[in-house]
Amino acid sequence: MTRRLLGPGSFILAALLVAGLLSGTAIPARADTSAKDEARAITDQIICPCSCGEVLTGCTCDTGKSMKAFVDSSVKSGKGKDEVMGALVSQYGEVVRGAPKAQGFNLIVWIAPFAATLLGLVIAAVILRRWVRRPVPAVATVSTGGAMPPVPSSDEELDELRARAEDELRRLRE
Amino acid sequence: MSELGRLALFLSFCCSVFAVGSIAYGLRSGFAGPLRSGRRAVWVVCGLALLSVIILERALMAHDMTYRYVAEHTSLDLPPMYSFSSLWAGQEGSLLLWLLILSAYGAAFLFTYRKRLDPFYDAVAMVVAGVMVFFTSLLTFVSSPFRILATPPSDGAGLNPLLQNPGMMIHPPILYTGYVGFVIPFAFAVAVLILNRSGTRWIEEVRRWTLFCWGFLAFGILLGARWAYIELGWGGYWGWDPVENASLMPWLVGTAFLHSVMIEQRRGMLKTWNIALIVLTFELSIFGTFLTRSGVLTSVHSFAESDIGTWFLAFILLTGTITTALILYRKALLESENRMDAIISREGSFLFNNVLFVALCFATFLGTVFPVVSEAVTGTKISVSAPFFNRVNVPIALVLLLLTGMGPVLSWKRATTSVLKRNFILPTFAGVLAYLLSLPLGVRGLYSSVCVFGSAFVATTIVMEFARGVQARKDVDPASLPMAVLHLVQKNKRRYGGYIVHAGMVLLFVGVLGSSVFQKEAHAPLKNGESLSIGPYQVTLRGIAEHQKNNAMHTIATVGVSRGGKFLSLEHPTKAVYMKSQQPMTEVALRSTPMEDLYLILGGVNEDGTVSIQAYINPLVSLVWFGGVVMVLGTMISLADRMRIRREGRLGA
Repeated sequence: MTRRLLGPGSFILAALLVAGLLSGTAIPARADTSAKDEARAITDQIICPCSCGEVLTGCTCDTGKSMKAFVDSSVKSGKGKDEVMGALVSQYGEVVRGAPKAQGFNLIVWIAPFAATLLGLVIAAVILRRWVRRPVPAVATVSTGGAMPPVPSSDEELDELRARAEDELRRLRE
Repeated sequence: MSELGRLALFLSFCCSVFAVGSIAYGLRSGFAGPLRSGRRAVWVVCGLALLSVIILERALMAHDMTYRYVAEHTSLDLPPMYSFSSLWAGQEGSLLLWLLILSAYGAAFLFTYRKRLDPFYDAVAMVVAGVMVFFTSLLTFVSSPFRILATPPSDGAGLNPLLQNPGMMIHPPILYTGYVGFVIPFAFAVAVLILNRSGTRWIEEVRRWTLFCWGFLAFGILLGARWAYIELGWGGYWGWDPVENASLMPWLVGTAFLHSVMIEQRRGMLKTWNIALIVLTFELSIFGTFLTRSGVLTSVHSFAESDIGTWFLAFILLTGTITTALILYRKALLESENRMDAIISREGSFLFNNVLFVALCFATFLGTVFPVVSEAVTGTKISVSAPFFNRVNVPIALVLLLLTGMGPVLSWKRATTSVLKRNFILPTFAGVLAYLLSLPLGVRGLYSSVCVFGSAFVATTIVMEFARGVQARKDVDPASLPMAVLHLVQKNKRRYGGYIVHAGMVLLFVGVLGSSVFQKEAHAPLKNGESLSIGPYQVTLRGIAEHQKNNAMHTIATVGVSRGGKFLSLEHPTKAVYMKSQQPMTEVALRSTPMEDLYLILGGVNEDGTVSIQAYINPLVSLVWFGGVVMVLGTMISLADRMRIRREGRLGA
């Protein structure tokens, strides 16, 4: 019992707990985000409305430059992320949001990928269960006459069989 | 010469139609003559496509402005290498390149199977010829590159400045070689359905062709990313642009197929699913061309828009409907021959991996087309760009990364508890250790942590697989460790090539993590002698100069880069304004080391005389390129396995 508790699995669990504690407490999260980082967090979410269509952070066109200057000055004057983004959206339209707001019709684009992934995984699990319960097909035994050699289930086993075959062939040649 | 070009395209259309008709008649009647004629017609199309390309290239290189295509895409001051690559700069030329590569694939297919007398291979050639009919008809009747201008201009409009980069010479042809090649797996699948063929031999052939195209597509995407990194000047290499997404989608579905095909080969299962994946990969490769050509979405690649997109959409719908009907009609042929032994097995993990690859493709597809759908429904213009894809695709990709490590160490059929313990403890330990070590480096947040854990987990499983292989062979192969590893790979190129691809993927993930999470950015207007600090670097403006080079006016900043007071180098970020279009282009200055890139952009000269300099530090970005190269290398090793089997087969025969 003691050995089981102190097995490698429990070590990993303990390490994960320590990691969790470390990431949560030992090293402080970036609470003191500078104005520069805050401005970057906004420009990373905004698309330049001119034809370049680039994320504002990396945009070097004139429109992009003036928008970045606006973001910098707004953040310095103490405005929050939502307020600055709201001002940009009201000036240039919803098109400047790099990701659409999760509301109304646009909710589809946020929900559908995860819903589809989940649905796909559930369907795959159901199919797998059905396949596991399926009876052994008769065709396999008929076609091989019931004397089919066992198929190696792991690559490791296959490697060993291959190496053994090579070894025997080498000895035969000698 | 333009008449000769038009004639060549018209004849290639006729030959494609003839090939389809003749092979179909031969298959129905059982006569060998029509089959032979049909095959020869495919060869002729390849020759005619080559002739058309030579005629257009000659006109491009000679700046023959009587050709509308030449006048629209070149100018007299265009350097020769870009005149040559203008062939694929516009719509008509790109379509011609498509046809050339498509017909070359058709010819390569016929050459590969020239000694096979099975009419199945004729049916495959017939489907390839059917796709050729579509492209030759477009080039002949809708979008000919050989249109002549009644009054030729004295000079052309010039090439889009974005395309005046050495990457233009190889990125599009490599990408097209990947895209177009998916026609062969598609043709195999349709031929199987038409002829009602069972068996697994064809699936190995398809795997090989798919792997070939998949490798080229991966390489093409990588080259495109590198091009964007150098040319677009926004500090990154992947912007989730619609056309970038269009190239990623067939790659994702192709990757899913390369995994699930193993289940069909080993267990005779997932036949319908595999056929569906092959068809979807092909349709998505056509969809990519539709996106580039239709102009329905705003893209940095939209330099050749027209109404030709409707034709592509019609072709996608037609081929999609036909293949879906065939799959439903032949569903008895595609039934599984086997049963599954356990959910926790390699088959199970591959199935989940497939779901995630297709889900990733679906998320990318939805995000790409959603602005059009949303505007049609709500009337409001929206953007779905990098911020969306990073939030939706990254978590799915991270789960896939974890599965990349789990799949290969699970046994086929059933993974016992002892196997799970033996194979998972060390990688999990390595993952946790890597995570703990990454904490002092500043790795925070769920996604970054999972990426660090997953990368170490997968890397350890790969090392373990190599170690076990070497251990199993140590009696037969008592060579030194590097030689033993080399011999191991030589003995089973397919499997270990696959692991090398996975290793490349891990490097790529680490590179993406480093260059996105730890990227630093700074920008400032500088006067001569003033400095900008970014990380450990000081960037000092030393001067600015203008001079004309080829067909553009270059504004070149000279900046000194130092680190901790020690001078490192002089760099020259440049802004080029192309004279024909007056379009400004950025030429970044890169100071690359294996650990990080210092990436400098000249924003321009401001009204007050200051110079705008933008600087980035992109840590570990070199791993993105190196990982991509490792992936391509692994693909080549996997492909070489099949060549060995064929060579041995021939010697045996």
